[in-house]
Amino acid sequence: MNTEDRVAINKLPTGVPGLDEIVGGGLPEFSFNIIAGAPGSGKTTLAHQFVFANATPERPALYFTVLGESSIKMLRYQQQYTFFDSAKLPNSIRFINLSQVVLEKDLGAVLEQITKEIEKSNPAVVVVDSFRTMVRKPQSDLDLQSFIQRLALFLASWQATTFLIGEYAEDELRDNPIFTVADGLFWLRQTPERNSIVRKLQIIKLRGQDSVPGLHTFRITDAGVQAFSRTFGLTGHLKDPPSHRRLCFGIPELDKMLGGGVREGDSVLVAGSSGTGKSVLATQFIAEGIRKGEPGIVAVFEERPQAYAERATTLGLDLETPQKDGKLKILYLRPLDLSVDETMHSILDAVQRIGAKRLVIDSLAGFEMALSPGFRADFRESLYRMIFALTGIGVTILSTVEVDESFTEFPFSTYSISFLTDDIIRLRYVSIDGQLRKIMVVIKMRGGNHAKDIREYEITDKGVVILGKRLSDYQGLISGIPVRSNRPDSTEVPSQDTGIKSKT
Amino acid sequence: MNDAGLNMTTPPKMRDLAHRLLAYEAVEGKTSELEEAATLRVYEKLRQSLGEFVGATGFQSLAFRALTQAKSEAPGLWAVQIAADGSLQGLGEFEPQLVEFEPQLGSGKDQASEGGVVLIARLLGLLLIFLGGTLTLRLVQSAWPGAAFDDCNSEIRRKA
Repeated sequence: MNTEDRVAINKLPTGVPGLDEIVGGGLPEFSFNIIAGAPGSGKTTLAHQFVFANATPERPALYFTVLGESSIKMLRYQQQYTFFDSAKLPNSIRFINLSQVVLEKDLGAVLEQITKEIEKSNPAVVVVDSFRTMVRKPQSDLDLQSFIQRLALFLASWQATTFLIGEYAEDELRDNPIFTVADGLFWLRQTPERNSIVRKLQIIKLRGQDSVPGLHTFRITDAGVQAFSRTFGLTGHLKDPPSHRRLCFGIPELDKMLGGGVREGDSVLVAGSSGTGKSVLATQFIAEGIRKGEPGIVAVFEERPQAYAERATTLGLDLETPQKDGKLKILYLRPLDLSVDETMHSILDAVQRIGAKRLVIDSLAGFEMALSPGFRADFRESLYRMIFALTGIGVTILSTVEVDESFTEFPFSTYSISFLTDDIIRLRYVSIDGQLRKIMVVIKMRGGNHAKDIREYEITDKGVVILGKRLSDYQGLISGIPVRSNRPDSTEVPSQDTGIKSKT
Repeated sequence: MNDAGLNMTTPPKMRDLAHRLLAYEAVEGKTSELEEAATLRVYEKLRQSLGEFVGATGFQSLAFRALTQAKSEAPGLWAVQIAADGSLQGLGEFEPQLVEFEPQLGSGKDQASEGGVVLIARLLGLLLIFLGGTLTLRLVQSAWPGAAFDDCNSEIRRKA
């Protein structure tokens, strides 16, 4: 069929932040949808958001309540949400109670009542809440199937987009005539995981629409339901072409080791044990970016933004002014039941708001702790999606990760995520001449040359300072217990992969 | 703390709104009608409007609660009852003894007038407690589409 001959399906805004992206741009007009889930999973709130987003005096919404929550209490609670606009009642949104008909009569009478109200109001949106209580009354399967079929046909003919809301358990999904008739099936889940509650939304089916498959986390706040797409709202976003720009740390020797800095759009991992200066390095990276006119974001999990900024001040770095100027945003994310998708949403929102070029995640361990236990199991996979999405829009990410110091191994990360990162800088303690000193080495730089040198550094009131020469007179430095090799010191020039030979 | 629901007196705002609704209906009706006719008309309009929204049983529960509260404030309502469908019964039946031995309560007409105000005010007061001022006013507006309400405190005008 010629594309021009095809019927265009209008997409209606769901009124739920993040959900339009998940359903493929909006809800198909005139679709017959079911919102299913356990009590308290947010079904009514989601339906209300849709109703408030679409109802107009010309094409109002009819909200039929049945035997569930009392209408007065429902409105008492729902009006607490910011999306609730009292001005829409009763001209744009009418609440109609069907409990009497349901209790005293049969499904035929219920259909008749719904039909009568629809003919009277010509609504654009119809909600039946809770539909499940209506069909729990004893009746034959044929009656129920016939009722559903007739209701769906009638509502479609009246050009109404419909939601039936019902409490369903997962095992009721099979062989249920309601689900067969429905164009869209939204399943809301809330599951306890240790001490956290995780809410997830799944679009089990949505006819005529390319919805994002899988389970998407959502949260209910004073703004109502907010969904977080697994694609982070970046569906259809073209990956920015690779940049050849190098982003400096503002630490000349380190920048030299990195061949001029990290490539724009790279994901950099700074790994080391406690006190090795990972956060200091991260702060210098952000501060240098701001100095060069590149706005930045720092996502902190282990200390509050104020404390983070104050610590930067002790290094001679001003993070207060750029925050006031909108060049820096320090995000404190520590609710302990976050999903990566939700964190990502906060970060992306900040990236778009200030046009951030650099992002620091300090630290991955803190990030993992902030997640609900259920999401920690998927941490690696989630990080992969997050890093891919952010670097795809040209943001350079520096993550810090704490690794256990070992004298038999030289791990890069506790998460086996080194494959996710383009560049790895490893910091560690070494025992030299009766002192616990610090060394730094660039382990990898994807697509770029870097020095192989192992350099000693100190943390001073100016931040990380790399000391003079590479440590060529020791062997076994990465073991943490080096042995003096009695060879002369190297030059100050760091050796490069590209044949710049070190003095040995 | 909002203790309007536990107070033994009607919230002044709702009492004022009830007065205005009754006055509006009294003008709408025939001048020869009894005081209780205006109360019944106001009540019926609320029953129709709220009944659609909360269902007959829901309205009956609200009305029963409002009447219980109102009776403690207006003894003239002693004979009034709420039927299963939420309709009002027994309005206009006054306790003769009260009129005879407690003249400070006024005549039967006064009792009917006061009882009507208190009952409607209590019903509106319950809505105010559950739904807040804005939604209550919107529900009242939908029951009196021909009237203009600026807010709970101002006078009700007829729309031009």
